[in-house]
Amino acid sequence: MTDNNQQPSGALTKATRSPGFWVLAWRRFRRRKLSMLALAVVMCLSGIAVFSPMIAGTKPIVCKYKGNLYFPCLAYFNADWENPIFHKDRFRKRYPRNLREKDPESWAIYPLVFQDPYRPVRDGEWQDKNGDGEWVDRPGNPYHGGLPSKLNFFGTYKRGVDVFASMVHGTRIALLVGFVSTGIAAFIGITLGAIAGYMGGAIDMVISRIIELVMCIPGIVLILALIAVIDKINIWIMMAILGLTSWTGMARLTRAEFLKLKQSEFVAAAQSIGAGPLRIMFRHILPNALAPVMVPIVFGIAAAIKVEAGLSLLGFGAPPPNPSWGTVLNAGTSNYTEWWQIVFPGIAIFITILAYNLIGEGVQEATDPRLADPKD
Amino acid sequence: MKTFTHRSTFRLALLVAALGCLTITGCREAAEDAAFREFEEEFGSGGTTANTSTDGGDTSDTALNTITDEPVDFEFADLVKPFDPPPLEEIISLNEWADKPVLDAVELMRERQAGEQQLATPAEALALKNSSVANNNKIISAMGRLAQEGEVNYSAEWNRHTAGDIKSTNPLMISSTAEFDVAGLTNMGLFGFDWNFVPFASTDVVVSWQTSANGLYDKVVMRDDLRWSDGTVITAHDVAYSYQVIMTSSVPIPAVRSGTDQLKYVHAYDDHTVIFFHNESLATNVWNINFPVIPKHIYENTVPEDPTMAKSEAHVALDENPITGGAYQITKRVRGQEIVLKRRESYYIVDGKVVRRKPNFETIRFHIVENSSTALLALKKGDIEEMQLSPEQWQSQTSGEEFYKNNTKSYALEWVYYYFGWNNRSPFFRDVRVRQAMSYAFNHQELLDRHRFGLDEAAQGIFHKTSRWAPTTLPAPYTQDLDKAEDLLAAAGWEDSDNDGVLDNIVELDSDFDGKIDGKRRMRFEFTILVSNKQERIDICTLLQENLDQIGIRCNVKPVEFTTLQQLSRDHQFDAIFAGWGTGADPDTSENLWTTKAIDAGRNYGCYSSKIVDQLFEDGKRELDPEKRAAIYQKIHLQLWDDQPYTWLYFRNAYYGFNRSLRGYNYSARGPYNYGPGESTIFKPAGMR
Repeated sequence: MTDNNQQPSGALTKATRSPGFWVLAWRRFRRRKLSMLALAVVMCLSGIAVFSPMIAGTKPIVCKYKGNLYFPCLAYFNADWENPIFHKDRFRKRYPRNLREKDPESWAIYPLVFQDPYRPVRDGEWQDKNGDGEWVDRPGNPYHGGLPSKLNFFGTYKRGVDVFASMVHGTRIALLVGFVSTGIAAFIGITLGAIAGYMGGAIDMVISRIIELVMCIPGIVLILALIAVIDKINIWIMMAILGLTSWTGMARLTRAEFLKLKQSEFVAAAQSIGAGPLRIMFRHILPNALAPVMVPIVFGIAAAIKVEAGLSLLGFGAPPPNPSWGTVLNAGTSNYTEWWQIVFPGIAIFITILAYNLIGEGVQEATDPRLADPKD
Repeated sequence: MKTFTHRSTFRLALLVAALGCLTITGCREAAEDAAFREFEEEFGSGGTTANTSTDGGDTSDTALNTITDEPVDFEFADLVKPFDPPPLEEIISLNEWADKPVLDAVELMRERQAGEQQLATPAEALALKNSSVANNNKIISAMGRLAQEGEVNYSAEWNRHTAGDIKSTNPLMISSTAEFDVAGLTNMGLFGFDWNFVPFASTDVVVSWQTSANGLYDKVVMRDDLRWSDGTVITAHDVAYSYQVIMTSSVPIPAVRSGTDQLKYVHAYDDHTVIFFHNESLATNVWNINFPVIPKHIYENTVPEDPTMAKSEAHVALDENPITGGAYQITKRVRGQEIVLKRRESYYIVDGKVVRRKPNFETIRFHIVENSSTALLALKKGDIEEMQLSPEQWQSQTSGEEFYKNNTKSYALEWVYYYFGWNNRSPFFRDVRVRQAMSYAFNHQELLDRHRFGLDEAAQGIFHKTSRWAPTTLPAPYTQDLDKAEDLLAAAGWEDSDNDGVLDNIVELDSDFDGKIDGKRRMRFEFTILVSNKQERIDICTLLQENLDQIGIRCNVKPVEFTTLQQLSRDHQFDAIFAGWGTGADPDTSENLWTTKAIDAGRNYGCYSSKIVDQLFEDGKRELDPEKRAAIYQKIHLQLWDDQPYTWLYFRNAYYGFNRSLRGYNYSARGPYNYGPGESTIFKPAGMR
């Protein structure tokens, strides 16, 4: 109570803080229906990617076995996360029957769709209760020509692997490739661009030449070369290479922004109070230079997804048996009668890239001050 | 096929190979994986040589590059040891001579068919769908019938399919399937072999063939009515000259030198008499004397200037317009598109007289179509008139009306087996129990049913049961037994000691695969299997991966481009590999797959080494009695099966689609071509479109 009284009454009402640049940009972005829809699509895909082992798989999400709780589905993220007890008890990666036979007390919650992205489901792996309450074997995936059916929503490919399960798990690769490779590219591009732009002189000269040098390396060719020499190629190496070859555009944009901004008054002010160059570059200039760089980042994600699908289509993508959209598409090209191997992954790739491009366009317009609504 | 002897540091070569393949793949992006189909399973050697064939036809690529890029000192016939051939009379009088067969392959086939019942007429066969073994037999029997008098339409054109272009038209340079197909039509050779791989001399070329009783000489008298396509007479001197070119180290011969290099000397005593001198009496001598012949009067001027036989202006012109001795000559070549062969009148008409059988087609046109889906569409349309089908195409894309409208199809057993090869220098596969465990872990039944559509047979070792070299009672094929696999692995020390769900063991390391142990370490059982970049093969490897995953072994599947695969396997830089071998005509040809000396000098990629097998191959070469010789190879078969250096998987049938207008095709254990009579009996009947 006393505290209240001590407040100076009738003091100046605090002026409402005027919205910052990013808040304004977000407001403008929100008004674009298509971009928001695209954002929703990407969020939804991210959800699918994160929860893919719970959507489609043959390993229980959670199970109780011999008194302990296990989460075998995590093995889809990393094969080493599968508890060794299932190896010791000779489960042989087949859960439903083994759980029931080896521990009648056990229970398990399975993914929504009992299909595996890596292998065909065989006859009798899963059992359904029929009308009389008896367990009957569910038939395995057809060997070939597996049309879309109620067990295989999107049909099968590669001698009976479920296309739906592959695509759900493939979402992880598609999104990861986009984020990780663009993340690497953005980090390198922005750092080098900032240093070149701010420092100028000889450093700028060297970095600019490096940029030109890297621009001469065709990313796909480099990837194909590395696939030939690296023994255990995995998707992370591919992402790194994609990232390491695609940062040049961002570096150039950042450099240009820094060249412009380092002449401005607020930089002079910061310098005058003795701020170091790192602080000035990343605390003061960078937030103001980020808007034009955001656009190539978003488009870069779309491009990376496209490159991955293209590599998989050529047969050099995610190493087998990792499911990726491009791999399914690749299987479809050798057999034109099996349309579902082309249509479904084709649609997925199309929608994802379209969504990222729409977001990119939205970011571009939302951050462009010339397009700003005077009402804001 | 040559190993790659001028090896600088292999890593550099590897990188070069990798970059080399890149440029290729780079420009073929649009053509999908087409480029690799060229090298599909097939043969390193075809009709004229007797080597074991290889999984991918072409090793000349790297070998040629490496050799030609180095400066060479040209010394003609430097690989031939100095030898002064004794006078002909002396050789003839000092030896007893036995006549060897001089046969007409077409007549041979006619005799065989005279003893067989024709199961259907061509019209009946063409009305059938090839959906059962009975129908397949009917189609083969009816369509394989040879032409009767007046039945052949000699002005017909045959549009053939080939998945890859030829690199060279020079018969000494052959190494890929396409080159063997073309050379089989344009090239002239003294010898051939029938569908049972029994060698003979051809009546088209040879008057008589005799072997001395001590087995050291083969004497061949050639016909005097043989002409090169430029009108010059083909003589025994051409044969002797070709031998010397093959035996010149600066000439980069990719395939045909092996075998020929076992000869001591070849000498032409006059225009028609040639004697082949052997170092010792071997069962394989009949194959060693069989090599392609090139015209001496052309090449004796050009080879000294350009021993690569590919670079000089004269050789480029010759490659474009080769002087050939066979039934056909190349009249047009559009790279990457087509090769056109025309019947050569001077082959069968000499001095106005018909001296040989007239070849059945006026024109044979090879269409180069890399992508097999595209090729199948062309076959259905009738643009090409024969092609080899993949089992998938056979099963699901060639059963409808749109296929049978213009075509029919048939299949026959071909002695081409596929395998998982385990590298004996890999820390994982040195122990025979581990290799056996691999064979037990793999689901062979699913492979045959799901991946091979139940059409191919399981492989039970290196020889097929219909081969006379196979044991009378073959070992039972492996069937999946995961418990047994785990027991064998446990016996070999592999168990999950660190509780991570993956087996581990203390193993001896040989990190650069040179046969020297570098140390000991506890290792997880995680290895990489190499496979050429084709979906159906990758799928088979992923089945292995799944099966091994079930028993706690991590297997990474690594698809690589074909030349890289060749390079890595030649340098033994792998743990495991998926590939296939075709058959040579003689069992001795597999010596370069299994003997210890073939690790460095042959194609023993997996470094298998067994004193017993080495000795048996030596014995087999020297044993002349066919029964006893067969017994030796049967022992080899069983020894290899016990040691399981490979997990043998299946024999791939020859599946072919043929246009309805074609007749007279018959299969051997090497498919419908590249044996005697092979393609030479195929014809189009008169009165058809």
